[in-house]
Amino acid sequence: MGFCFNADDCIGCRACEIACKNENQTPSGINWRKVKKISSELFLSISCNHCENPECFRVCPQRAFTKRRDGIVEIEQSLCDGCQLCVTSCPYNAPQFDPETHKVSKCQMCYPRQDAGLLPTCVEACTTNALSIVNLDKFNNPDIVSSLPGFPDIQITRPSIVFFPQKIRKRYFLF
Amino acid sequence: MDDGIYRNTCPRNCYGTCGILSHVKNNKLVKVTGDPSHGFTKGSLCAKGYAYTQFVYNPHRLKYPMLQTPRGSGNWVRISWDDAYSIIGKKMIELQARYGSNLASGYNKYSGNLGLLHYATEGLFNSIGTHTKPVGNPCALTGLNALEYSFGKKFSAVPEDMTYSKMIVLWGANPAVTNVHQMKFIYEARRKGAILVVIDPVLTQTAKKADLYIQIKPGTDMWLALGVAKLLYENGYASNDFLNERGEGWNEYINFITHGITMQEVYEITGVPPEAIAELASLYYSIKPTATWAGLGIQRNSNGNDSIEAINSLVALSGNLTIPNAGLYFMHFDVETFPNKLLNLEGPPNELVLESRSVDISDYANNALSFDNPPLKLLWIASRNIFTQDQNLAEWKELFDQLELIVTVDMYLTKTAMQSDLVLPAATHFEEEDLNIGYWHYWISLNQKAIPAYYEAKSDLQIARELTRKLNQLSPGFSSFPHEKEPIDWIYEEITPEIKHLYGINSFEDLMTKAFHKKEKSIFPDDRQIFRFFTPNENNCVASKAPGLDSFTLLTPQSLLKIHSQYEWVSWLNTKKDESLIEISLAAAKKKGIADQDKVELYNESASIIGTARISNHLPDNIVLTHQAGSNPINQLIKNKDTEKPDSSTYFYDSIVRLRKWEGYNV
Ligand code: SF4
Ligand code: SF4
Ligand code: SF4
Repeated sequence: MGFCFNADDCIGCRACEIACKNENQTPSGINWRKVKKISSELFLSISCNHCENPECFRVCPQRAFTKRRDGIVEIEQSLCDGCQLCVTSCPYNAPQFDPETHKVSKCQMCYPRQDAGLLPTCVEACTTNALSIVNLDKFNNPDIVSSLPGFPDIQITRPSIVFFPQKIRKRYFLF
Repeated sequence: MDDGIYRNTCPRNCYGTCGILSHVKNNKLVKVTGDPSHGFTKGSLCAKGYAYTQFVYNPHRLKYPMLQTPRGSGNWVRISWDDAYSIIGKKMIELQARYGSNLASGYNKYSGNLGLLHYATEGLFNSIGTHTKPVGNPCALTGLNALEYSFGKKFSAVPEDMTYSKMIVLWGANPAVTNVHQMKFIYEARRKGAILVVIDPVLTQTAKKADLYIQIKPGTDMWLALGVAKLLYENGYASNDFLNERGEGWNEYINFITHGITMQEVYEITGVPPEAIAELASLYYSIKPTATWAGLGIQRNSNGNDSIEAINSLVALSGNLTIPNAGLYFMHFDVETFPNKLLNLEGPPNELVLESRSVDISDYANNALSFDNPPLKLLWIASRNIFTQDQNLAEWKELFDQLELIVTVDMYLTKTAMQSDLVLPAATHFEEEDLNIGYWHYWISLNQKAIPAYYEAKSDLQIARELTRKLNQLSPGFSSFPHEKEPIDWIYEEITPEIKHLYGINSFEDLMTKAFHKKEKSIFPDDRQIFRFFTPNENNCVASKAPGLDSFTLLTPQSLLKIHSQYEWVSWLNTKKDESLIEISLAAAKKKGIADQDKVELYNESASIIGTARISNHLPDNIVLTHQAGSNPINQLIKNKDTEKPDSSTYFYDSIVRLRKWEGYNV
């Protein structure tokens, strides 16, 4: 499974980001999902991308990360000793270091919800359907692209996310 | 409270009035989710709604009644509720003895919580007999009056029906920021091939998503509507069957659009290019059904009434009034069909002063300052943050100086609470029972008490009940408020047999299981209903002069993560960085030598505000745009206009400011 982000539909409302905080009750400053304004026309809503080649997994000396069969990259917090190697190696700023607990946490793609047949909470919260999850092995659409401006390099980790770009619109300004 | 899931309703002054499911564990609200049974919000909330756990458990929330002496000193001491009631009660009773009536006591309450049981404040004041009473509606009154004129009643179509429109025209509305749930219906329509048109002076977040965006000079919507109507009519595209039978004022209207106005005038006044107007006219002609939504911003200026009436008339002329899934959107006032027992509570008669004294809520301070027999001496503020939201703040300060007791009921120590003698900690909607009716969609939903009160917080209703007991203890018979009635009793009384019928509710218990939609659909309407066309005349068709490049029209739209000043304490939604941004046009930046991120000063005769400039490529030359609230509220620059009519919304968007680069140091 992976995320599908439709930049044409996203209105930057941040419901996904705050719904994640509501579900996981993460402290202020720890954001598993973040909505970033890239330009006046483009928002990106980004969390952990549950990569094909997760750098976090590769660099973690404590082996705190696992990749599940369904693709979800999970962190086992009790194993984390706060060295933050994953924080520096992940291109997407997904692992979040909490100075109070001295541990790293990140998006787990709401696996407890998914295991119970529910959608990840961010996806459920997105009123515009800009954010969804898809089976990347099967999902095929001529309009999808593998990255967008402002999204970090995808070469190293091969993130499980696809995008729909924005469309060009017709505008009349004051003359 | 038992662990489990409770039903709540977001009571904010917002289009959503969302159904919330509150997850409670060990007497704590642990998370909130959207109520899937609510057909408008369909199981989701907005970002603000998802932050409610932080709104409830917040280090800034007021915990106890507090007394400040002297007022404004910051010297607060915690007092008991009983002492608070005694202070208020003794003052009310003494004022009544001094002046022979309760006219020296008044309140200012507005839209902080729109639940029906929050009318307890009005009920409390009614229960002491004649007093000083705010009237009006600073937000939407102009538009409501215009709708009443056009339709003979308040009217707004069903939002879910937009899904089936073939074209959606958002005229001065920005749902991507203020009504996110509506976006799903708009997008659903678009996925089925509908086209989205946005008309707005500002390239808003919604405008960026439109298939067609048309920029317009602020306050000139009437001319655009007349111009499009003129093109439709002169090309023989008016919808005749409807107009002949049911249109009142048709001849005058047609006479005006054919002879009273030229397209050249329309282009010049609105600033909209001819191709854009032609395209809009051809879309209105060729695509049906078209839904048209006239947003609140259109009516926040002196042309507001005419603009809304002109848009209504264009919709009628284009044949989009009588067909399904087209129609007009503004907002409705169905809450008025409820008994509103608290609002309409009758108090004891006073032989000397038969009527309460009205204050125009849009000009409260000026009005109240003019009273002298007796002057206003006690002010009760609830669901309201005057010092960030109202206009005429200098006059407000003057009024505060004359008041002998200021009581503010709030959840937080707002700017207004800081200027009060006494603050009473208010419950959030999770800590009280209530009943909520939307003003955009047609859903009704219950609000259950889900968690115990935060420290000593109380609901407006509980405060009214307890203060009544104290008043009557100090002076028997002073208040007739039925203090023995529980919240549930008041809710029962609102669900009359007629309301049950209207919403298809069998019993009160039904409301504990889901939200209900009004059965009768608000579409225009039965066969005999008359429509009144807009009658332009010389007076209402004078274009207001656009300010030169030395003065600017100040637009202050709602921001994404706040409603007015609400939510400003919620750190998840932290928006401090955006708060002081002042958006200016390229032309203004050039003329005033201002670079992006420079400190700039906005000023007029009322005040001066310093902020950070953001140069915006597409902002019209004469507009500056800032958001409401913040620590240095923009409303300091907003003053009553001479043109302001008493029965109108506040003309917030007629405010004129000047702009210069700020050379000072500390900001
Ligand atoms: S996004 Fe970062 S944290 Fe998530 S799997 Fe990829 S490398 Fe690891
Ligand atoms: S909830 Fe959806 S529309 Fe809103 S910011 Fe997130 S992805 Fe974008
Ligand atoms: S603020 Fe508005 S959209 Fe958000 S939860 Fe409340 S009613 Fe719904």
